[in-house]
Amino acid sequence: MKKIYLAAGKTDIFRAIITAAVTVCLMAALFGCGKGGTEQAEVKDGYVYVPEYKEFAVKARYINEMIAAGDEAYVVAMVQDGEGEDEQYKTALYQYDLLENTARELPGVDLNDNMNVNSLLMSGDGNLVMVVNQYDFEEDENGEVVDSSMTMEIKRISPKDGSVINSQDMVNVIENAENSYVRNMCEDGQGNIYLSDGEKGIYVVDKDFKKLCEISVDGWINSMAASKEGDVYVTSYGETGVELKKVDLAAKKLGEPIEGIESGQGNVGYYASISKSLMQSSSNKLMLVDLETNTGEELFDWLDVDIDGNNVDIVGELSDGRIWTVSREYSETGDKYELVFISRKKASEVPQKEEITYGALWVDSLTRRAIINFNKANEKYHISVKEYGNDYDGSERAQFNADLTTQNCPDLIGLSGLDFAQYASMGVLEDMYPYMEKSGMHKEDYLENVLRAYEQDGKLCGIASQFYVTSTFAKTALVGEQNGWTLSEMLDFVEKNNPENVFMYGSRDSIFRYCIYNNIDEFIDWETGKCSFDSEEFIRTLEFAAKYPEEADYNREDEGIASKLRSDKVLLLESTVSSVQEFQMMNGLIGEKATYVGYPNSERKGNLIQPSGGSVGISANSKHKEGAWEFVRSVISEEYQDNLVEDNYGWGFPIRKESLEKQFEKDMTPEYYEDEEGNQVEMSKTTWGYDDFEMEIMAATQEEIDAVRALLTSAERLNGNVDAQLSNIITEEAEPFFKGQKSAKDAAGVIQNRIQIYVNENR
Amino acid sequence: MKLIAGKRKKIDEISLERWDAVIKKKKRWRLRKKAVGIAIKTTIAACFAVLFLMPILLTITNSFMSASEISSNYGQVFATNDSGGKVYISETVNLKFIPDMVSFSQYITVLLKSPEYLFKFWNSVILVAPIVVFQLLVAAGAAYGFTRYRGRVKEIIFFVYIILMLMPYQVTLVPNYLVSSWLHILDTNWAIWLPGIFSPFAVYLLTKYMRRIPVSVMEAAQIDGAGEWQIFRHICMPLCKGAMCSIAILIFIDYWNMVEQPLILLSDEQKHPLSVFLSKINAGEIGLAFAVATIYMVPPILVFLYGEDYLVEGITYQGGIKG
Amino acid sequence: MHFPKSRKKEGVLHGMEKKRKAAALSEGKGRKINGNPKKRRGRLISTGYLLPSAIGVLLFFVLPFLIVVYYSVIDNPISNQFVFFDNFVMVFKNAAFIQAAKNTFTFSISAVPLAVVLSLFLAMMLESKIPYKSQFRTFFLSPMMVPIASVVLIWQVLFHFNGMLNEVRSIFDLEKIDWLNSSYAQVVIIILFLWKNLGYNMILFMAALSSIPKDILEVAVLESATPFQIFIHIKLRYISSTILFVTIMSLINSFKVFREIYLLKGDYPYDTMYMLQHFMNNTFSRLDYQKMSAAAIMMAIVMVIIIGILFLTENYFGKDVEG
Repeated sequence: MKKIYLAAGKTDIFRAIITAAVTVCLMAALFGCGKGGTEQAEVKDGYVYVPEYKEFAVKARYINEMIAAGDEAYVVAMVQDGEGEDEQYKTALYQYDLLENTARELPGVDLNDNMNVNSLLMSGDGNLVMVVNQYDFEEDENGEVVDSSMTMEIKRISPKDGSVINSQDMVNVIENAENSYVRNMCEDGQGNIYLSDGEKGIYVVDKDFKKLCEISVDGWINSMAASKEGDVYVTSYGETGVELKKVDLAAKKLGEPIEGIESGQGNVGYYASISKSLMQSSSNKLMLVDLETNTGEELFDWLDVDIDGNNVDIVGELSDGRIWTVSREYSETGDKYELVFISRKKASEVPQKEEITYGALWVDSLTRRAIINFNKANEKYHISVKEYGNDYDGSERAQFNADLTTQNCPDLIGLSGLDFAQYASMGVLEDMYPYMEKSGMHKEDYLENVLRAYEQDGKLCGIASQFYVTSTFAKTALVGEQNGWTLSEMLDFVEKNNPENVFMYGSRDSIFRYCIYNNIDEFIDWETGKCSFDSEEFIRTLEFAAKYPEEADYNREDEGIASKLRSDKVLLLESTVSSVQEFQMMNGLIGEKATYVGYPNSERKGNLIQPSGGSVGISANSKHKEGAWEFVRSVISEEYQDNLVEDNYGWGFPIRKESLEKQFEKDMTPEYYEDEEGNQVEMSKTTWGYDDFEMEIMAATQEEIDAVRALLTSAERLNGNVDAQLSNIITEEAEPFFKGQKSAKDAAGVIQNRIQIYVNENR
Repeated sequence: MKLIAGKRKKIDEISLERWDAVIKKKKRWRLRKKAVGIAIKTTIAACFAVLFLMPILLTITNSFMSASEISSNYGQVFATNDSGGKVYISETVNLKFIPDMVSFSQYITVLLKSPEYLFKFWNSVILVAPIVVFQLLVAAGAAYGFTRYRGRVKEIIFFVYIILMLMPYQVTLVPNYLVSSWLHILDTNWAIWLPGIFSPFAVYLLTKYMRRIPVSVMEAAQIDGAGEWQIFRHICMPLCKGAMCSIAILIFIDYWNMVEQPLILLSDEQKHPLSVFLSKINAGEIGLAFAVATIYMVPPILVFLYGEDYLVEGITYQGGIKG
Repeated sequence: MHFPKSRKKEGVLHGMEKKRKAAALSEGKGRKINGNPKKRRGRLISTGYLLPSAIGVLLFFVLPFLIVVYYSVIDNPISNQFVFFDNFVMVFKNAAFIQAAKNTFTFSISAVPLAVVLSLFLAMMLESKIPYKSQFRTFFLSPMMVPIASVVLIWQVLFHFNGMLNEVRSIFDLEKIDWLNSSYAQVVIIILFLWKNLGYNMILFMAALSSIPKDILEVAVLESATPFQIFIHIKLRYISSTILFVTIMSLINSFKVFREIYLLKGDYPYDTMYMLQHFMNNTFSRLDYQKMSAAAIMMAIVMVIIIGILFLTENYFGKDVEG
C-alpha cells in the first residue's frame, strides 16, 4: 500500500514538473515571442538597414533585362546614342561592376535594331547564356515590308569578349518558336537550362542546348528562379496568391505549392540568394526564403529603406553581405534608375530620426512616392507605413479603430476607404489650419471649395494634394444649363426622353449608385433620425430601376458610345474630370455642348470632389504632430504642387490656386512641329479615347479652361462612398421586387425597416 | 394474548393478500394503459428526433451532391453578386435529402484540390485543443479553491465569475483587443488562447460540481493527514472525472464554433480557423459549404460518440446556480 | 448524496493514515486536529489554487470590463473627456438601443422558459420506458454538433422568402410570408434557439430526474397519488435546483444566438431580430465605444439583478432537497 502511494506521489511530482515547465514556456512565449507582433520592426536585435543611393552607371532610358552574377551584373538596356540632332537610341549589353559602380559595353555583341534579348542568365561555367529574337524582313522599293521572318536563337557567349561559344536555333526546342517569347530562363545545378514562355510550358535543354523535355503547365508562369541548392522554382497565381512551386525534372511536372512562406502582395519576385535558398521581394518587404525548412525571414520593409517595392525588378546579394537593388521610377521622359546598396548597420551607429507612422487601410502609389521622397529628403523625420488592409468583413477596420484609441495610434491617417465625416466628427483628426498659419501658408492660396469639403466645424481635418471631380453630363440641348438636379427632375427627364438606357452600360446597380448611393442623405435625415426609404420617390426609383437590365452587358458590340449619346439612345455619361484634356475629349464625344449635371441632389449640387492619390489627416492622439504636419506641409507646398504640373504624375489637379493656373497655362500652350516647308504647324498634344471614340487633343481654348475652372470650383461635396452596409441592404431587399415576388412598396418597407435601425444606432 | 396475536396475524395476512390482488389488478390495468402511453410517447419522441436530426442529415447528404445539383436546388436562396450582396438565380427551391447522383466532387475539391481547407482545419485544432486542456486545468484549481474553506470573500468572487461568464462576448471584445495589444500578443494564437484558457465558464461548472462533494469526505482525509494537494489530487479529481469530461465537451463545442475572436484578434487570415472560413463561404460557394461543414463536423461527432456517456454521467450532480 | 468509493482511493487513504502514524511516531508528538494554524494554512493553500485562474480572469475579463466602465464615462476614445452619465442618458434615449433592449428582453423572456419547459417535457418522456432511449438521446443532442455556419445555411433554405416553408405553404394556396423580414423573424430565431439547446437541457433534466430516490416515488404511487401530483410535489421539488441551472445555461445560450442572427442577416437585420449585441457590435465598429460601453454596463446591471433574483429563489426553494 505504501509503495503504491509513493509511486502515485512520484507521478504527481513528475506531472507537477511538467505543468510547471509548460507554464514557464507559456509565460516565456507570452513575453518573449509576443514581441514580434507589433509593427515596430525597424530595429531588429539592434541592427537597422541603411540605404545608399548611387547613380546608375548606364544612362539607360529603359532596362530590358538585368541579371546578377556575384558582384557583377549584366544589363541589356536601351541607351541614348548621339546628341542633339543625331539623337538615336540603341540597345546594348553591359557588364556592370557593382562594387566600383562602373559599366562597360560588352564588345563583340552586336544587337541591331531588329534584335531583342528575351532572357539572359549567368551560367555556372562562367559564360553568359542569352535568348535572342531576330526580326528579318525584306523591303520593296517603296519601303513596304514584303517578307518577314522571325528567328529565335539561344547562345552561350564569353563575358570577356562576347564571342559566341555555341548556339542553337530555338525551332528545335520550342515549336512555333517564331511567335514565342522566352520570358524566363534559369539554370539548375546540373547546367540544364529551363526556358519558359509564360503560358505554354517549360522547356528544358542541357548545356549543349539539346532539348531534354517539355513540362506542360496550366496557368501563367509568373517568374522563375534558381535556388542556392540548384533547383529551379516557378511562381504562378493560385487561390491564395502567388504560389511557389518546384520544377521536378525527373517527373516532368511542377510540384505542389510550397506552404509556410507568405505569398506576398503586389509585385512579387524571387531572386537568387547567397545566404539562403532564395530571396522574395514583394510590394512591401524583402524576405530570405529557406526552402529546406520552408520558412521565410523578413529582412526589411522596402519603405524603411526608401524604396517602393513595386518598383523593384532585381535584387542581389554582394559578397560583402550588402544587398543591392535597382530602383525604377516612372517619369514622362523615360524611367529613372538608381542603384541602391542596402547594408546592415548597428542602430547606434546610424543617426536616429524621429519615427512617424502613416496608418491607412491601404496606401496608394502617389502617397507611397510622396512618403519615400519625404524620407529621402528629410533629416529629422522618417515615416513608416502601416497598412491595415481592406477586407469585406471589416475586421481590419476594427483593428484600425482600436489602434486609434491606444498608444499604437498612427500619427498620420490615410483617409482612403474611411468615412471622413464620421472620423472627423469623432475628433480623431487634428485641425490643420493652425499649423498652416504657423508655417506661413494661407488658406486663400488653395481652392476654397476643396478645403471646405475637408472642414468639420470650421476645422481642417484632412487634405488631398490633388483632386478631380466626378460628375455626369448630358447634352445641353436636352437638360439645359444647370449645375445639378433633383432626383424627381432626373427621373422626369429620363422618362420624358425614354431612351434605350440611361447610361451606356446601365444596370440596376448603376442606377442605384447614381440615384441613391451618391444621394443617400436625401433619404436619411440625420437631424431627426427619420428615414424615407418608403417614400414615393424611393419607390419610384425602385420601379424605375426595374426597367433596366440586372447586369450590364459589356459584350454588346452594336454601337459605340459616341453614336449612342449623339442619337439620344443613351442620355447620361458618368465621367471624371481629371484633366482639361479629358474634359475636351468628353465634349468631343458628345459632339455638341454638354452640361455637367452631376448626381441628383435636392440642393442641385451634383458634382463631387474626389481626392486623387488619397487624402490625409493628422491624428489628434499623435505624439509627433509637428513631424506629421511636416509631411502634410510637404505635399501642399508650392514646390510639390508645381511639380505635379511639371511631372504630370498621377491624375487630377493641384489644390493650390497658382499651381492650378500653371496647369491651365500648360494646357493652353499649343505644341508645334515644323513641316517640310519650315512652317510651324500646331500639333495635337495627346490622343484621348473612350470606348470606340478617339480624339486628338489640341491646346485648350480659354472658354474650355473657364468651363473646367467653373466645374472644379462648383464641386462642394466629397465623394464619400456609401457605407457598404446600406448598399447591401438595398440590393438584397430590392431583389424580391425585381423578381416580381414582392411589390415595390413591400420591398421598400423592409429596406426602410432595416436602414432605420442603422440610422437610429448612429445618432 | 396468544390468541389475539394469532388473530391479528391472520388479519394482517388477509389484508396483505387483498392488497396484493388490488395492486396487481391496478398494475395490469396500468400496464395496458402504459403500453399505449409508451407508443404515443415514442411517436412524439420520434417526431422530435426527425426534426432535430434533419439539419445534420441534410448537411451530410447534400455534401454528396455535385455543384450543379446544389445550385439548381438552392439557387433561389443563395447566390452572391460581386459586391457581396445576395441575389437569386434559379426559380425553385428544392430541399432534397437524397442526391440525384452521389458525387464526391465537393470532397475532391476540399480535400485534394485546395489544401487551404485542411490547413484551416488544422488551425482550428491548434486553437481549440490547448484551450480545452488548459481551461480545464486552470478551472480545476480554481474550483478547488472555491470549494475549500468557503467564505464571504470567495462567495463574492464567485458571484463576479458568474456575472463575467454571462457577459456577451461583444462587451469584452474591444477591451480584449486593447489588453492583447498591450501584452503584445495581438495577431498571435496567444490572443485566442489566453482569454479562452482563463474563461470563467469551466470554473463555474466545476465549482458547482465540486461543492456537491460532501465536506466530510475531504475533512476525513484531512484528519488522516492528507495535505491540500493530496485532497485535490486524490479525492476531488477522481470524483470530478465525469464532470471534467462533460465540461471538456461543452468547451470544445463552444470554441470549435468561434467566429468573432479570430476575426478581430488575428489579422492574418492564414491563422484563422475553419469556422471563420465556413461562415464566409456560406454566402458564396454553397456546394462546398456542405462538404466543408461535414468534414468540420467529424471531430464534434467523434467527441459526442465517445463522450456522450460522460456528458450524461458528469452532470448528474449538477443543480442550482451557486452549487 | 451517494458516492461510489473506488478501492484505489480507500487504499490511498489507508496509505495516508499509515504515513501519518509513522510521522507522528517518529516525531514522538501528539497532534492537534483542526488546529487554527493548520486551518489557516489550508485556507491559504486552497486560495493558492484559485490564483492562476484569478490572475487570468483579472487580466482578460475584469480588466477589460474596467476599461468598458472607463469608456462609458468619457465622451469618446480619442479626446477622453470625462462626461459622467451623459453616455447613459444618450444611449437610453437612443431608439436603436431601446429597440435592441426590448428585443433581447422579449427574446430571453420567451425563449428561456420555453427551453426549460419543452426540455423538461422531453426529459420526462424519455424517462418513461420507451424503446431506443439512448438513441433518442443522441438524436436530440445532434444539433450541438452542427457547425453554426451550416445551421444558418439550412435555416436560410427553410425560412427564406423563396425557401422551403413558403413552398409548402404555396401548396396549400397560402400566401408567402417573408419569415426573416417580418414580425415572424423572432419566432424563427426562437425555433432555432430551441432546436439548438433543447438537447443539452433535456440531458440535464434526465440526470436530475434519475437522481430522485426511487422509494419516495414508490410510496407516492402506493398512496394513490396521481402522476400530476407526483410531478408537482415530488419531481418538481427535487429538480428545482436543476431548473435554475438550466435557466442559467439557457440564458447564457440565449445571448449566443446573436451569432446565428448575424450570419443570417448581417449587421442590420429586420428590427424584430435586432439584439443588444447588434447594437454593441455595430457601435464598436463605428468607433462609438462610449455607446457600446454604456449599453454593456446597463446590460451588466440587469444581469446582476437577474442573477441575484435567481440566487434568492434558489435559497428559498433549493435548500430542503439538497443533501
